Amino acid sequence: MSARPVGYYRPGDSWLHVRHPLSKLVALVWFTVVSFVLPPVALPVLGILVLVAAISTDLLAPLIRSLRVPAVLFASILIVNAFFFPGSFERIISIGPVGLSWEGILFGVITAARIFVVFVASILFLFTTLPDDLLEGLVDKGASHRLAFVVLSAIQLVPRLQNRAAAIQDAQQARGLRVQGSMATRIRALIPLTGPIVLGSLIDTRERTLALEARAFGSRRDRTAYRIVRDPSIDRWIRLLIVLSLAGILVAAFLGLLAG
Amino acid sequence: MNGLKVDELSVRYIGRSERALDEISLDVTAGHIVALAGRTGSGKSTLCLASSGLVPRVVRAAVTGSILLGSADCEVEATKANAADLGGRVGIVFSTPSLQLSASKPTVREELAFGLENLGIARAEMDGRIDAAMSRLGVEHLADREPLALSGGEQQRVAIAAIVVMGTGVVVLDEPTAQLDPQGTSEITELLSEMAADGRAVLVSEHAADVLGAAGSCLVLDKGRVVARGLPGEVLARSEANSAGIDPPTVVTLAIAAGVTASAAFNERAIAAGLAAKPVRDVREPSPGTRIEETSHWEPILVRATTPVSIEVKGLSHTYAGGVEALRGVDLAISPGEAVAIIGQNGSGKTTLVKHLNGLLRPTAGQIVIDGRDTASRLVSDLARTVGFVFQDPDDQLFHSRVDREVAFGPRNMGFDSAHISTVVESALKLTRLTDQRATNPYDLDLSTRKLVALAGVLATESPVLVLDEPTMGQDGPGRHSIESIIRAWRSTGRTVIAISHDMEFVARNFDRIVVMRQGQIVLDGPPSMVFAPTNVTVLESTGLRPPPAARIAALMGLSVVSFDAADLINASLAISASRQ
Repeated sequence: MSARPVGYYRPGDSWLHVRHPLSKLVALVWFTVVSFVLPPVALPVLGILVLVAAISTDLLAPLIRSLRVPAVLFASILIVNAFFFPGSFERIISIGPVGLSWEGILFGVITAARIFVVFVASILFLFTTLPDDLLEGLVDKGASHRLAFVVLSAIQLVPRLQNRAAAIQDAQQARGLRVQGSMATRIRALIPLTGPIVLGSLIDTRERTLALEARAFGSRRDRTAYRIVRDPSIDRWIRLLIVLSLAGILVAAFLGLLAG
Repeated sequence: MNGLKVDELSVRYIGRSERALDEISLDVTAGHIVALAGRTGSGKSTLCLASSGLVPRVVRAAVTGSILLGSADCEVEATKANAADLGGRVGIVFSTPSLQLSASKPTVREELAFGLENLGIARAEMDGRIDAAMSRLGVEHLADREPLALSGGEQQRVAIAAIVVMGTGVVVLDEPTAQLDPQGTSEITELLSEMAADGRAVLVSEHAADVLGAAGSCLVLDKGRVVARGLPGEVLARSEANSAGIDPPTVVTLAIAAGVTASAAFNERAIAAGLAAKPVRDVREPSPGTRIEETSHWEPILVRATTPVSIEVKGLSHTYAGGVEALRGVDLAISPGEAVAIIGQNGSGKTTLVKHLNGLLRPTAGQIVIDGRDTASRLVSDLARTVGFVFQDPDDQLFHSRVDREVAFGPRNMGFDSAHISTVVESALKLTRLTDQRATNPYDLDLSTRKLVALAGVLATESPVLVLDEPTMGQDGPGRHSIESIIRAWRSTGRTVIAISHDMEFVARNFDRIVVMRQGQIVLDGPPSMVFAPTNVTVLESTGLRPPPAARIAALMGLSVVSFDAADLINASLAISASRQ
């Protein structure tokens, strides 16, 4: 297997890397649901769980680095929720119709913390799961291999399309097209810039389809898989445990046992 | 026995009245290469598609006749077989390298596994088969590389390996080298011979003389029919091939002059020995009727007068954002009206250099002065009036639904008035011979014609400088002649032409100055007779190039004069034999 980083993937062989992709996916779903269903006191525990996982897999530093961009998002979630928290509470500051209350700040912090937990769990999932393994793992569990193929080739084609877009911009500018300037100029440039991408992709599709057919992609034989995604029995137990605990939490929430 | 047997095959695409193929028969046996030559649209691609079972299974068509694909156990009728029957018996590779790959696999090894997965081969068998195919096709060193990050030549080799790994006995290739540089082309040519030696049957359609020469037999197609067949060294010089739009390759013309047998027509040493040993037969004939007449359709009265423009590149360096040093101190002065070709292997900095001329790239260090003005502060759209740039891939720019509107796009951007726009569009269409296609949708035309549409679009801007990036790539004989006559017409009005090309014969014939680049620097700069002189062969090789065939043979003969085409070299040989008597 190659050791090159693909997208977010950080090559490694930690305990989390070697889990079956489906186990990690189920765990991610667990974190997402639970962080919104459990009372806010559970949030620090959830956050610590993710951080411990990151430390134990040696991924804490890249995880923190990846938080730089969404930091703005967390801040804005906090601020917007804090200021626009509905209801009449004692305001600390008033700016026209909106104001800041302790209740609002608390709500903002809780909302931002929930999204934070989901975000870091997702990043850790992407860090430790190769897209190819994820899709092969899903195909192995019964997902369509054609769908998996479409998703994988779409991921790989993004950089190609970016190069293509740059080449098109060059070619049209060389024919005197102005791409910078007023809004009207930019709008006029839209069709010459996007037209060739669409039309060119259609042309490519024909040759690509034929080339795939030549590789027996249309064969109806039972497909085998080269990439082996290990699914040790412990993973099956882990998934069962996660699903049961999720069901338990949801039932408890439904019965109102978690209120307050 | 691996083999392909086509019997009285006719194909008519749905919605077309004429047949794409008309009663074609051919036989490719194991261990042999059969080549298909012919113009774009002659039916070569259809024959390739049908032979690999894609017509009519994937591309709908009415088909009569039969195609038998033989393998060790049994024969399959390709026109009726399904994907599972065909996979592992026959495979096809097309011309665009990146489109041959599945684009869903992270490594070459897994790319090769893709076909095996689809055939349902047991996992335990896969690695052995992949390793065997990789070593046979010389791609082991690429095993862990990302397929889409490879060079074009490497991608084509991987694409062929991905077919061979499926156990394919019949390999079909439709213009496999059309988009490759000289090095990539020679790699693929060698690979074809190796595959045949390995017991496979190989069918290849091509324009490149070297690839045709590797075949044991060659069929010439014209309008869906076979008009000639035989040894490539003999058949490509026949008048039937000529009227089908095929120029006799230089080596074949020379082989006939040298009295070399057709089976050795691509053996340069034999030709050199033949030419040197005995008085040669004068086979120079006036060009056949299919050759496009060399008159200029660019009526000077219709074109606004242009002031010839000088170009000066001073100490130009360019480092890309990723840190790649693409140009390292380039100095180049081009006088008004000069025709300059820039050659060198992929990655030597050719395209980076010319992209500075119209401001698409800005110097990291150095200066570009055009017409006495520094370009640093000028916009690309403004420089486009002075420097017209035709890109390699026409699909990067075509977007109108009619050819004439597409051609008018540039002039409109330049702000020409509407009367002048229609004048320049008419002239550009005439010059590129597209007048009849004016109302056609560019995407209904084949790639080589789309390239001409893109060229017409730049000609119509009347820029005093014309830059062409790989103008002859993917063009057949007549397409090449069109481009050559356009360059002559353009120069006759005092304009400057600069071209990047991998086609050494084209470069030697049409340009009076050749600039050779290697690793971001100019290593040779002079007239073709200097650049292609025997003393410079090692410098050329260091950047993946070889002199044109006539010059190579002249060098083998030990001649001091440098020849670029067959007529030149035959003249020289005639003079030598005359002086000997």
